[in-house]
Amino acid sequence: MKRITPIVIFAVFFFPGFVMPSYSQSYPVRNITVHFHNRIGNTPLELGKQVTNILGNEITIERFRYYVSHFSVVTSDNRTIPLPEACFLIDEEDSSSRTIRLSIPDIPITGIRFLLGVDSLKNVSGTQTGALDPLQGMFWTWNTGYIMAKLEGSSPEAQTAGHRFTYHIGGFRKGMETARNISIPFQQTVTQLTTLHILADINQWFTGKSILRISETPICHSPGALAVRIADNYQRQFSLLSLQ
Amino acid sequence: MKKKPVILLLLLILATGWIRFDQPIHKPRPVNFVIPKGWPKPQYDFSKNPLTEEGIALGKKLFYDERLSRDGTISCGSCHQQFGAFATYDHPLSHGYDNSLTTRNAPGLFNLAWQKEFMWDGGINHLDLQPLAPITAMNEMAETLPSVIHKLQSDKTYRQLCKAAFGDENMNTRRLGMALSQFVLQLVSSNSKYDRVMRGEDHFILPEQLGYAIFQKKCESCHKEPLFTDFSYRNVDIPLDPFLKDIGRMRITNDRGDSLKFKVPSLRNVAMTFPYGHDGRFFSLQSVLEHYRNIHGNDPQTDSLLRNGLPLSNFEIGQLKAFLYTLTDSSFLKDPRFAAPGMLFNGKPPADIHQ
Ligand code: HEC
Ligand code: HEC
Repeated sequence: MKRITPIVIFAVFFFPGFVMPSYSQSYPVRNITVHFHNRIGNTPLELGKQVTNILGNEITIERFRYYVSHFSVVTSDNRTIPLPEACFLIDEEDSSSRTIRLSIPDIPITGIRFLLGVDSLKNVSGTQTGALDPLQGMFWTWNTGYIMAKLEGSSPEAQTAGHRFTYHIGGFRKGMETARNISIPFQQTVTQLTTLHILADINQWFTGKSILRISETPICHSPGALAVRIADNYQRQFSLLSLQ
Repeated sequence: MKKKPVILLLLLILATGWIRFDQPIHKPRPVNFVIPKGWPKPQYDFSKNPLTEEGIALGKKLFYDERLSRDGTISCGSCHQQFGAFATYDHPLSHGYDNSLTTRNAPGLFNLAWQKEFMWDGGINHLDLQPLAPITAMNEMAETLPSVIHKLQSDKTYRQLCKAAFGDENMNTRRLGMALSQFVLQLVSSNSKYDRVMRGEDHFILPEQLGYAIFQKKCESCHKEPLFTDFSYRNVDIPLDPFLKDIGRMRITNDRGDSLKFKVPSLRNVAMTFPYGHDGRFFSLQSVLEHYRNIHGNDPQTDSLLRNGLPLSNFEIGQLKAFLYTLTDSSFLKDPRFAAPGMLFNGKPPADIHQ
């Protein structure tokens, strides 16, 4: 028997089918879809179409993108269970990107949490692939780091060439962090969740925590105080629209 | 004792689980990274990107491939020339796409494995990510990443080289960076006269010996041996250029205290990397040393080591220069492993080099 033990250990650890145990071993899994609905107030976002933002400025949005990652669910006894690590790029231009699929533990839950942006570790560990491939255009090459979120367009308010405003928000170094923890409480305990509809309201970019006037600051292109201010605003852009 | 064959059989069955029939028999051949004697531990994490002959070959091809630029005229090697220790030989600033100029002096490329942050301001935090900056900069190669990756994916040779190096043909941004790193990591310069003297294989002549003593007293605190830099960012009282308006490290940290700080450059091969300084404003070693001895240290931002100036007599300057010349590693400048395809391996700039 003594002889067999190491072999058993060997077999368990080295057999190719071996997978690390994760939460999915302790709970049955369910697959859900999460839809992100980008809006300006109550108006669904349409790229290239002029709308009025919450400050009364005429704006035409041409690009709206953000990363979401590190999803977790909140249990009825208020524990947070992280889901397997995944990062998604939500891109208004690409409608399929606005629906993501997650596998969550099949237990009663009271909310969902995620990170708006990319964690700092991925900002310092070389080149990533998939949604995080630098070729997605959400990456600064001269000052290594991800752009967590991008909002671009034009407005008569912007005193720039083509009246363009460009907000490229990123930064992970201490004091310049722009990734934000988002919490979407359901206000009830939900079992057998299948679909979540989450609203992202662009108006929050302008008024979330402090006022952002396009006339004063039409451009943000690097990490720093302005980026942090805008991140504090967009932190409030998400809310729950509905769930099934 | 009877159990043995059973156990062996069991092991054999288990082992077959590892065999994958869809994989080529040829495995990339590993390459050992040699750390010169007495040097510190490299910063680069080789475990995440193990060196192989195939990976290095792919990296070399990429390094010298002009198709990485928008109009197919500029390669990494256009700005990083072997005869200039992989700096741009005799250019304060380098030529980029469509008659543009870079805003900084191209540094020599060597001993990158020991470096943690790249560029004069340290803005890039991983060697694998470095190529993305020149590829996409409008005043360098002016390309987009999707377009470069598309070009590489549609090229059969690249697909083959990629498969040989990484196991399949999928050339992507990550592998582009990994392969280029594998090549530039090979650029180790550790065989100058200085190194031979340190190894006890050679002797300094008197001016070199005196220069070395001055160096250790006055320069060593920043240009630390054996890499000849401590990789810190320092303000050595070089005034802001009104056109380039380059604030150095502060661009990355937003910290006023980092204004006009630049990375301490290595002085290895320094005789070959002229002009000098982050914007190439010093045309000779003489002018750099003149700058040092004229520092008044009035500016509170100037590095504390230079606050009282750095006095150097004409004699000392002559001896320092004699020492600095011993840092030229001619075997590195001529190493055929690093040479551009079709170049002579004589380590000399071509006669028709343009300005
Ligand atoms: C148009 C000229 C040009 C081209 C092309 C170019 N470089 Fe550079 N390289 C530079 C300049 C200038 C710098 C310094 C930039 C700075 O500090 O802001 C630099 C810096 C670097 C550094 C950092 C060195 C250090 O000590 O910090 C590396 C590594 C490098 N280049 C590799 C490459 C590779 C690989 C390529 C090809 C993908 C490439 N370069 C293409 C001009 C160029
Ligand atoms: C306080 C730190 C410090 C000290 C001391 C110092 N240097 Fe430097 N050195 C630097 C920095 C930083 C640079 C880059 C400056 C720039 O371009 O903005 C530099 C640049 C140089 C260059 C130009 C190299 C190139 O490739 O562009 C040379 C040559 C040089 N130093 C030689 C010396 C010598 C010789 C001494 C001693 C007499 C010395 N340095 C002392 C920090 C220092």
